Amino acid sequence: MIEAFLSSPMFGLALSIGTYLLGKAIQNKVKHTLANPLVIGAAFTIAVLAVFKIPYENYAKGADVINWMLGPVTALLALGIYNQRKTLKEYFIPVLVGCVAGACTSIFSILALCKAFGVDKAVTAAMMPKSCTTPIAVSIAESHGGLAAIAATCVAVAGITGALCAPMFSKWFGIKDPMAQGLATGACSHALGTATAREMGEVQGAMSSIAIGVCGMISVVISLFMTV
Amino acid sequence: MSVLKQLCLIFAICLGSECISAVLPFTLPASVISMVILLLLLLVKAVKPAQLKEVSDFMLGNMALFFIPVVSGVIRYKDVLFANFWAIILICVLTTPLVFFVTGHVVQLTVRLMKKKEGKQHD
Repeated sequence: MIEAFLSSPMFGLALSIGTYLLGKAIQNKVKHTLANPLVIGAAFTIAVLAVFKIPYENYAKGADVINWMLGPVTALLALGIYNQRKTLKEYFIPVLVGCVAGACTSIFSILALCKAFGVDKAVTAAMMPKSCTTPIAVSIAESHGGLAAIAATCVAVAGITGALCAPMFSKWFGIKDPMAQGLATGACSHALGTATAREMGEVQGAMSSIAIGVCGMISVVISLFMTV
Repeated sequence: MSVLKQLCLIFAICLGSECISAVLPFTLPASVISMVILLLLLLVKAVKPAQLKEVSDFMLGNMALFFIPVVSGVIRYKDVLFANFWAIILICVLTTPLVFFVTGHVVQLTVRLMKKKEGKQHD
């Protein structure tokens, strides 16, 4: 029976959705940045696989079905950009200049540090897009031979750091302009940071979500010219 | 559009993007191409956001779910992860504030320069 249980694609599907729902329930209760459904869901999934010594391949049978949806999810990010088109048009120059600066700083500083620490290629390529939103980061990492799993993990770490620290960073670094605060938050910590940016103010929230799309696109373009 | 039509449209866009990605001479991820195609379709009003409402609300509203398999996949690479553990942590801790700092100041500087220029035009 255990054999049937583990070899069914329903196992991976049920485990992923179950742990996600658990993560969402905890988020609703705790209401803390660290209580993020992705972090909790992945942590519980990993814990179940590790504790019961279930091979990843068994989980992947069902989980792959969810994985296939990453393409459509990325396509739908277009809606977010489209909905912000008026704000984007109005503040086009500062948004573009800021996001180019942010994306370049992120990619070049990560590549330089990876080289300095002697990090291997598959990890360097995975870390390179870590400031981008997960679907874009995974695409960039994979097209450069990076491990998607490491990329997604680093994206989550960057997101949590930004989400927790954005108000402090603004104060320490003397970023007072609300537009600059929002763009900076979105540029370094994508969707997770945007949740915090919304708490900081309406302008910050809108600008942060604009930065997700614009920085993502710019990072894709820059990464075309990068070899890891 | 019915939910099935919405799904069919999005899958068709993704399929087309994979074909485009395969023939491009450089590596542009298919998912990013599909995002650009959908954005163009929205901008030329071939598709209205309301027509994709059910599917987009579901997928974007539960976006974290779609990344649980990818992130959980890290269990396969624990050796790689532990071998580079401190480097990864240090890089994450250093670069996130750096990107915030640079982006924030560049935007503030740009806004200041633009105001200055505007002021001069008024003089």
